Amino acid sequence: MSTILTSIAPAWKVLLVGLLLGAGLPALFAVGMRLQSVGLSADGSPNESVNPGIGARVGAIACFAIVLLVVAAAIVVLAGSKAFLARFGLS
Amino acid sequence: MTETIILVLVVVTALAFDFTNGFHDTGNAMATSIATGALKPKVAVALSAVLNLVGAFLSIEVAKTVAKVVKIQYTKDVKDSAGTVIHHSGEPLPLFNTAGGHHLLITIVFAGLVGGIIWNLLTWLLGLPSSSSHALFGGLIGAAIAGLGFSSGVDWTLVLSSIVVPAFLSPIIALLIASVGTYLVYRITQKVPDRRREKGFRWGQIGSASLVSLAHGTGDAQKTMGVIFLALVAHGTLTGTDGIPIWVKLACALAIAFGTYLGGWRVIRTLGKGLVEISSPQGMAAESASAAVILTSSHLGLALSTTHVATGSILGTGVGRKGATVRWNVAGRMAAGWLVTLPVAAVVGAVCWFIADLLRGPADGLLGVGVVFAMLVAVSTAIWVRSRRAPVHAGNVNAEWDDKQLAPPVETANLRSRTKSSV
Repeated sequence: MSTILTSIAPAWKVLLVGLLLGAGLPALFAVGMRLQSVGLSADGSPNESVNPGIGARVGAIACFAIVLLVVAAAIVVLAGSKAFLARFGLS
Repeated sequence: MTETIILVLVVVTALAFDFTNGFHDTGNAMATSIATGALKPKVAVALSAVLNLVGAFLSIEVAKTVAKVVKIQYTKDVKDSAGTVIHHSGEPLPLFNTAGGHHLLITIVFAGLVGGIIWNLLTWLLGLPSSSSHALFGGLIGAAIAGLGFSSGVDWTLVLSSIVVPAFLSPIIALLIASVGTYLVYRITQKVPDRRREKGFRWGQIGSASLVSLAHGTGDAQKTMGVIFLALVAHGTLTGTDGIPIWVKLACALAIAFGTYLGGWRVIRTLGKGLVEISSPQGMAAESASAAVILTSSHLGLALSTTHVATGSILGTGVGRKGATVRWNVAGRMAAGWLVTLPVAAVVGAVCWFIADLLRGPADGLLGVGVVFAMLVAVSTAIWVRSRRAPVHAGNVNAEWDDKQLAPPVETANLRSRTKSSV
């Protein structure tokens, strides 16, 4: 019984990290898209009455950049035998 | 001479398993991108193949232990009192050093592989996504029971904690994450024009699906590398301390990539069209959830099945989107398939071991192994011929789920009626 409980324990970590990255990153991507389409009306044509502003544009780019960075980090972890991480002083 | 022939047969069988592993699992990464049209079917499988190839080389440390649940190898380095390593991880257990021991080991591995391949092909014929790792473990467990005994061949506690429990948990975890992701994504992009949203998320979808393919390559190609390594050690070509030869890595990487490129269209269809009618925001949520779960768990040393995770994620996107229909009956059939994967592969593995052992002949054992190999070829050909009756390919993989000419042949009739009655 205890073996089973021990094997379940890491599942919480997977769930938490998974929620953070697996649901959080798409949400961030969505925020980026939302910001990108500030000033567009429902049919996709520019809406003259709303000014998108530089803030929205910068925000959108920041969102996409964070998503890309985290994905790049994930690939490092993926390739991450300890030796590989150690090369960059990460372990 | 005969030993070499047996070795070659085992290596070929291992690569064949790797190949079925590839085409059986293409859908885990690419089904959603194909279903939403983010990628053309052929482009999707080609991309996935390349990434599997890259993934297979990406992981530097290849595990030499094939499956810890069967007691055939040392699973970690054993040290004597002075701290010197006397048995290396991956080295066959001492009982195989007796007369005939190497042959016993190689037949167990061989019979296990055959069990895994046959189950992979059968589920492919039925369009049923099922775990290739479970098929391999099942085959090996069956062969180990037959060859070594029920409790002396298999570590049952480990079967429970490292295979059975994760198999129940992983789809649920993936489902939760993907449903939260889907809900958030739709909530946030409510005001984004539809066409723009669909187009934008296609990029996200391609990116996240690529990550899943890469993760698949790092995990699954390794398993076959371990199997071939073990066969080489059992044959005496290598010892447990040697590294895995480059030709083994190359062959395994190519086999899984080629399998992926052929595309298991039947499985892709079920995953992409059968469970949930998917749009690109859902696709991105599904693949992100899958990638996150697979990467996190493999980092923690948990071996989860990509198939279970991917299926859970796709279901989750149906749960998380308002008004989406989830075909729970199709999901139920898959779950039933998962339950029997391990036992059925085990039975096939055990039967193959008995046949190989019974026909061992005077001493060399070539006859038995040869007969089982011939059976494998015959069964595979039969399954392939059967699949031709209702082929699924790049051109019709996205056809409506209820289409009469399509979908797995045996299942079409009752699946259709069940789908209709549930809608």
